[in-house]
Amino acid sequence: MKRFTDSLLGLVVLGVSIITVLFLVIPLLMAAVMSFDSREYLGQFPPPGLSTRWYTSFFSDAYYLKGLKVSLLLALTSTCLSTMVGVAAAFTLDRYRFPGREVLSAFFLSPLIVPHVIIGFSLLLFFSSIGLLDGFVRLVLGHLIITVPYVIRTTLASLVGIRKSFMEAALILGATESRAMWKITVPLAKTGIAAGAVFALAYSLDDVSVSLFLTDPNFYTLPVAMTNMMRSQFDLRIASASVLLMIMTIVLIWLLDRIAGLDNVVGQGVYHK
Amino acid sequence: MQTSATTLASDANVRPADAQSVRAPEPGAALTRTAVLLIGIVVAIYAVLMLYPLIRVFEDSFREFVPGRIGSQADAPFTLANYTDLLHPAYASYFWDTFRIGAIASCLGVALAFPLAYFVARRRSDWIRSVTLGFLITLMFLSVLIRVYAIELSFGPVGFARDIAALFGERAGSRFYIQFMVVLGLLHYVVPMSALVLIGTIQNINPRLIEAAQALGAAVWKAHVKVTLPLAARGLLSAFLVSFTLSISAFVIPMVLGRGKIAFVSNLIYNRFSELANFPSGSAVAMVMLVISMTIIFAVSRLASSSRFDGAPR
Repeated sequence: MKRFTDSLLGLVVLGVSIITVLFLVIPLLMAAVMSFDSREYLGQFPPPGLSTRWYTSFFSDAYYLKGLKVSLLLALTSTCLSTMVGVAAAFTLDRYRFPGREVLSAFFLSPLIVPHVIIGFSLLLFFSSIGLLDGFVRLVLGHLIITVPYVIRTTLASLVGIRKSFMEAALILGATESRAMWKITVPLAKTGIAAGAVFALAYSLDDVSVSLFLTDPNFYTLPVAMTNMMRSQFDLRIASASVLLMIMTIVLIWLLDRIAGLDNVVGQGVYHK
Repeated sequence: MQTSATTLASDANVRPADAQSVRAPEPGAALTRTAVLLIGIVVAIYAVLMLYPLIRVFEDSFREFVPGRIGSQADAPFTLANYTDLLHPAYASYFWDTFRIGAIASCLGVALAFPLAYFVARRRSDWIRSVTLGFLITLMFLSVLIRVYAIELSFGPVGFARDIAALFGERAGSRFYIQFMVVLGLLHYVVPMSALVLIGTIQNINPRLIEAAQALGAAVWKAHVKVTLPLAARGLLSAFLVSFTLSISAFVIPMVLGRGKIAFVSNLIYNRFSELANFPSGSAVAMVMLVISMTIIFAVSRLASSSRFDGAPR
């Protein structure tokens, strides 16, 4: 009886795991297959024939292209800025001791837990009240505040492992504070910094809830364009745009794996050789 | 993504030990002028881009609504009307839908993620483990738009799975089926995230404990219920916390999959801005939501770090 329930449990667990994985994968494959549909309209699965018409249509649509261009430019700009700000914050939090340090680090990570819609809404009110109307500047500032915490967190995590004595040794040997920082701490922490930058890039490319409030008719991101299209005309150009975004994500994950190693991102655990 | 709460907790675990040890090997330096300058710049950025805008929203939420401008008029009279309006049942249902559907999706998500996480955590370092890990991390990063679109294509009117509605005895456009779609959308988000949190937890449970329980005569299921689950309690709770926080602040998922029949509080905030341009009312909704979600996060992270979840068998 014990054996029977045990193997039944094993089967149920395996079955649930397989169904879960299928649920996660199959819709994505569906979207990928449908993006090659040859029909002119959005018809039922499976498509009768394959073509690249939706990709051609996507790349000849000025609305989407503009969004793609703004998204890439915005992601690069805000990632550079948030990496600088985040690294400065993490380094000072890690190196110096002062009253209120814990509170400050909680404050710096707080944009992670404030719902992004609220951040977007409050920035819209604020920017309008000071008369900042340029769409691109508004987007850069909005993306800066939501991506900085990721950089701070990964950088802090990588700094914890670095012995302070290395830095002290450099200082004793006559290096200035900033030289010791650039020669010792930065190279040792570069994995965490790079991982943070990849996170920032990914979240900036993906964001809808902050961007939707801050766009103007000239500056909107690809996800905002896709959201508008999903609400007005649900056609398959969105499928081809999704496939493009999927490819970008996979490239970013590959980068993250090369930089930090996916096993290090998750950790192997204590009881794992 | 881990909760910042757990990160902060682990951070706090490292530091006091440093400070308290007798020889204080890693004391950290006293502030220099450059450091003060750097911290000052970062604090200023946060104050301008987060703190001050939130204070403005707080102030705006007490102003009387004057149509036709972004933000309230500077001299508009103060009022509590924006909050009392929210007591109307029509508004309460937005909050009810958000927290109810969010809770359903988070519970289901953690339950589905646990077996998956267990499978990955107990694998040796082979290709199956790396592929599954890479897959989960990719899913975590995947744009929410792709998920929403893929689920709409698969389970919506043209999808291969459209007949699922009939299984429940429902039409594809019914409120129940739309809720089901929103839950699916949230699950697609929450399952990979919970699995990654749980992998970390399960990896740190000594596998010998299960072997010991079995050697002493427990059935496998009993060994897991009595040993693995209690030891993973903290991880389960923090996976739930992450999932719930993400679910209740979801925006695109209910907006697209909810088709106007199901809307979350975040959609309500956006509609106040895009359809009515009623900023004071939107501000009041935002404030209520902020307070509720902060309270939940605080309560659950206090619970997760309390000694009841130490996991030590007693």
